[in-house]
Amino acid sequence: MADRVDLSVSLGRGLRLRSPVMVASGTFGYGFDAPGADRTALGAIVTKGTTPGAREGNAPTRIAETPSAMLNAIGLQNPGVDHVVRVYAPKWATWDVPVIVNVAGDAVDDYVAVARRLDGVAGVAGLELNISCPNVANGLQFGVDPRMAAQLTARVRAVTRLSLLVKLTPNVTDIVAVGRAVEDAGADGVSAINTYLGMAIDVRRRRPVLSRGSGGLSGPAIKPLALHAVWELAAALRIPVVGVGGITTATDALEFLLAGAAAVQLGTVNYVRPQAVREIHDGIAAYIAAHDLRHLGALPIRPARMEAHV
Amino acid sequence: MSLALAPALVVERSTPMGDAIELVVHHPTSAAAVKPGQFFQLAVAAPQTILRRPYSAAWADPQGGRIGFIFNVVGAGSGWLAVRHEGHELDLLGPLGRGFNLEGARPVICMAGGLGVAVFPGVVQALVARKRRVTMLLGARTSSQLLPADRFTGADVLTATDDGSVGYQGPVVDLLPLTLGRFPSPQGQGRGGGVDILTCGPTPMLQALIENVRQLGLPLESIQVALETPMGCGVGTCLGCAIPRTGGGYLLSCIEGPCVRADRIDWGRMTDAFHG
Repeated sequence: MADRVDLSVSLGRGLRLRSPVMVASGTFGYGFDAPGADRTALGAIVTKGTTPGAREGNAPTRIAETPSAMLNAIGLQNPGVDHVVRVYAPKWATWDVPVIVNVAGDAVDDYVAVARRLDGVAGVAGLELNISCPNVANGLQFGVDPRMAAQLTARVRAVTRLSLLVKLTPNVTDIVAVGRAVEDAGADGVSAINTYLGMAIDVRRRRPVLSRGSGGLSGPAIKPLALHAVWELAAALRIPVVGVGGITTATDALEFLLAGAAAVQLGTVNYVRPQAVREIHDGIAAYIAAHDLRHLGALPIRPARMEAHV
Repeated sequence: MSLALAPALVVERSTPMGDAIELVVHHPTSAAAVKPGQFFQLAVAAPQTILRRPYSAAWADPQGGRIGFIFNVVGAGSGWLAVRHEGHELDLLGPLGRGFNLEGARPVICMAGGLGVAVFPGVVQALVARKRRVTMLLGARTSSQLLPADRFTGADVLTATDDGSVGYQGPVVDLLPLTLGRFPSPQGQGRGGGVDILTCGPTPMLQALIENVRQLGLPLESIQVALETPMGCGVGTCLGCAIPRTGGGYLLSCIEGPCVRADRIDWGRMTDAFHG
């Protein structure tokens, strides 16, 4: 019965996902490395943050576990957009799961250059603007200021016909203001949220555990915070909100969908349970079937905003 | 890649040395697939932990379908593993990464510092099976922290302890020049010369070894290191286990290692942050 439930969702500009379960940027590479993950249950893959040129990333130590969470300060290690276009995209073009490229940079021109390079490339189904990376110099600057976020979104919007998600940082006073700004600037959806700034200190060595001092906190510890951000954004925006932050089980994912998320991204859990994609997909389908809801649009507790995009 | 996602059954638990725990699990597909130096990501269910823990297989018995893991309790995850007993299930992901390259006919020196020894029972067994001459150099703080020599059947075993309670008193690296003296041409000149060195241990020991090897005129290419780094995913997606690479940038311990030729590592940029 669960097979006949319609789990499809639209993220704008013709980007339709067969499942609301996506994998979050930085937790699935470029889709090639994750053994054990069931692509047939995936709505979309969001790639590692991609910059104009290749980046080596930060010196170790790059990750640390904290209570029910982990810190990372990878530093946008990636092969650069040319490599992505030449080597990865042709392979994605043969896949039956859409690939959304996460776009990152230090300056507006970096984002524009990457977006322009990816526009019209077979295999690239959409873009997610990373205006919220805490682990590179200036990584957060665009995400914390609604005006700058809007300008960046508008500049990228002007050079791409692809569906454009903007990934918001929670390291702000008013995430809804940033969400509204990027919606008005032409975003097709927002992903909420990226990691929280955090740190851990090695008391024996008397120094931060991470080489950069601070990093981004992800995992189950941040789930209630992410859920709250999604709840607020879903009430305020017309465009889809993609919920991300600590989702580990189907129940977690359902909480986000009930809060008004159009889809969800799994992040840290991909490191631990590669089979989570399949389990969470099936759990959502079973819930919808058991409650005789037929499709995802019937899930949100406050349904008005959802009808526009399901 | 063949990956074990089915649970493994703990069939034996023991304390092979000092405070270390040895868990033996029954998982035939993994026992048949794992190569010496490869690792598994073990799921732990300790409160507030989320990530799997990477552990090298200490040894594998493909006929019996068994794999051994040897570890110390260093935190919540290993603490949880340490109280697994016969009949408990373990969720293991693997085998992962690249093991040691055991090809060749030259004599082999294996050097282990502390818990670095945990990878060597299976390595030595495989080398002996290949008819290679093996010298196992064991270093520890004190005699009770040494894995018994009978875990290295077929190898010459030499020991060094910090307190001199058994064997040479001092760092295990000091045993290297003495050991090299047993071979006709350890620097590799001429036919039949050269040795291979396989090692695992704390970063200061590794750095001392590299320094020694350079002074002795051995090529770094003859050394393979089993790296121990913090890991997130173990499969190349999180990019958390970066190791400074010769020539710039980083290599990933989980997929390009954990066993890496020493000349591929930029030792000047290696930190000892991994051994807290």
